[in-house]
Amino acid sequence: MIKKISLAVLFLSVSVFFVLGGVVDSQSTDQEKVVLELKLPKPMFVGTPRNIRSPNLEKITGKKRRPFYVPKGTELLSLDKPVTGSDTEPIIGELEFVTDGEKSGEEGYFVEFGPGVQYVQIDLEGSFHLHAILIWHYHSQARVYRDVVVQVSDDPDFITGVKTIFNNDHDNSSGLGVGKDKEYIEVNEGRLIDPRGITTRYVRLYSRGNTSNDMNHYVEVEVYGTPAR
Amino acid sequence: MNKKTALYGLFLLAVLAALLFRLFQLDMRPMHHDEANQAVKFGILLEQGEYRYDRTEHHGPTLYYLTLPFAWIASGTSFSALSEVTLRLVPVIFGIGIILLSLLFKDGLSLEATVFASFLTAISPAMVFYSRFYIQETLLVFFLVGAVAASWRYTRARSPFWAAASGFFFGMMFATKETCIIAFATMLAALFLALFSLKNHSQPKDTPLLPKISHLFIFLGTGILVSLLLYSSFFQNPKGILDSGLAFGNYFNRAGSAGFHSHPVYYYLKMLAFSQYGNGPIWSEALILVLALIGGVAAFQPLSPGESNPFFIRFVTFYTLLATAAYSLIPYKTPWNMLPFYIGFILLAGYGAAFLVRISKKRAFQIAVVLVICLGVFRLGIQSYSANFTFYADSRNPYVYAHTSTGFLSLVKRINELSLIHPDQSLMLIKVITEPDEAWPLPWYLRGFARVGYWQEVDEAGALADVPLIVSSINKTNQLQTYLEDNHILEYYELRPGILLALYIEQNLWDTFLQRRK
Repeated sequence: MIKKISLAVLFLSVSVFFVLGGVVDSQSTDQEKVVLELKLPKPMFVGTPRNIRSPNLEKITGKKRRPFYVPKGTELLSLDKPVTGSDTEPIIGELEFVTDGEKSGEEGYFVEFGPGVQYVQIDLEGSFHLHAILIWHYHSQARVYRDVVVQVSDDPDFITGVKTIFNNDHDNSSGLGVGKDKEYIEVNEGRLIDPRGITTRYVRLYSRGNTSNDMNHYVEVEVYGTPAR
Repeated sequence: MNKKTALYGLFLLAVLAALLFRLFQLDMRPMHHDEANQAVKFGILLEQGEYRYDRTEHHGPTLYYLTLPFAWIASGTSFSALSEVTLRLVPVIFGIGIILLSLLFKDGLSLEATVFASFLTAISPAMVFYSRFYIQETLLVFFLVGAVAASWRYTRARSPFWAAASGFFFGMMFATKETCIIAFATMLAALFLALFSLKNHSQPKDTPLLPKISHLFIFLGTGILVSLLLYSSFFQNPKGILDSGLAFGNYFNRAGSAGFHSHPVYYYLKMLAFSQYGNGPIWSEALILVLALIGGVAAFQPLSPGESNPFFIRFVTFYTLLATAAYSLIPYKTPWNMLPFYIGFILLAGYGAAFLVRISKKRAFQIAVVLVICLGVFRLGIQSYSANFTFYADSRNPYVYAHTSTGFLSLVKRINELSLIHPDQSLMLIKVITEPDEAWPLPWYLRGFARVGYWQEVDEAGALADVPLIVSSINKTNQLQTYLEDNHILEYYELRPGILLALYIEQNLWDTFLQRRK
């Protein structure tokens, strides 16, 4: 009996010890945890910044693109090929500008679509293995175009057999799915996308405004590939 | 209704037009780099009661002290509760005050000319644009007009009140912006030139009499007292008084070595006469320039409209010529710097318009002239609407100078959205690593966040791998990537045309954000 009582007391004591210990421990943890007071530097007051009104043709960042290797016999497929778009009456320019071979960043070489999700679509007029796609949205100024999505399909309406080969819509704000590709700054050498030899006839390129305004622009799109057998 | 009553009615209409163009949608335009600088400086005064004149930046103290009552009424002493509307209301009120003050020299300019000038001040795109801009310029013009008006009233009444009022306005000019010295010098020269030009004038009442010595002391005493009080932060910082004098060395240097603010001699006049950038609209305030030219020529003609005064008109003409020349010859130019001489153009334009109406006594001719001027004013009104409500932050607007892009507000929105889901909310740590001029206006927009640090070098910013949000200049992204251990996603936002900022968002925070959106 005494043994049982002793064991019970011991058990009770140990329990109390752990419970109390836990409380004390948690209290001490709470007391020890305080918000780290960081001495953060204040912004430096500086005068009026430079006013940039003229186009800036300089490259903003990064190095020259490394050589990109494609299969022998790869040729430019998109030159002068038919272009359609989400807006048949662009605000500025013509849809044909997208494949006319002119890549100048100056006024008069780009086509401008209104705000929101817009696309241009190139009909390669045949089935091809694609090995490179180069896109120039607008490179007279450091800009990032939002939600750049490149899709291919053999269906001109992009209802069936649609494959996405580039998507940087990381928050799915254009509703074409979350993309894992990175946003990039427009430069005069264009953005190169690797379609990894995918076979298709139609290429569609989406965007949704840019960091400078809500408009969508295309200076040129080049699609390179080889005939599909 | 007699003619005088009708003219006062039109004057009230001009004040109403000024209100309409200035009061609405004051928060639409993103804060400019300079506005944010002024706002943060004011925030220190608001919250800590501390103001120290900085002789290298920010200009004089009036803007901050005069903002205090607006802030107290709108949001108490909390800087984070302050809004763009409250801050920009200060130049709005003083911009309208310029028009009201002009009534004080209606007997110098003539009531008809004052009414024309009031409409032009109310509607001029440049005057409206900078009346909605939280910097010192509109206040400087207000005090300048006040100084001219009070001095003019003194020449009429020679009372100690107007001597003190004149001293007060000159003191306030000095306490507003260091460039007041250009106005002081050109006003003094214009005074002598106007007196000299009327040396042999047949009507002695047209030339002002010399002030009484006692009034001169009142004038000087008031002016000096006002500037001493403000520059010394009401005697809390006596060094500010010395600095207000030493500042001129700094500003003379800046005027000469203007760097990227160096513009050609014709910069201001060309901007006012004709501007078009890219595929943007044509901007022109040529109506005011042409009417001012007519007014300037009319100042030396015997035919004067209404009850105008040759001395006053010639003073305004000489001041406008000299101040325009002075500001144009200084290499350092920003568009808002033209306001102190542009107000001279507007007053002369009012006089020129009144002169045109009086050229012929034929009623039909007078009505035709008024109609043509009204059409011109209407055209100016359309431009003013475009400049302030359509192209308000568009670099194709000539008055938009190094302005923050509207796309920058998306960065602010993103930071606010992410803070709402972060456990620390407004205590979330944000590190800003940018070139000094690429940090602004972030300090204004992040004023509600308690833990924001600003660095210029990546390696000085401490540990970065777990920081929820990092804002950086584009030229720092390559170096920054090496510190981030691939733990952040990257977004870009435009700060100003051609200048992007990178926003790094910690991956877990981003994943939570996406989940919440679903």
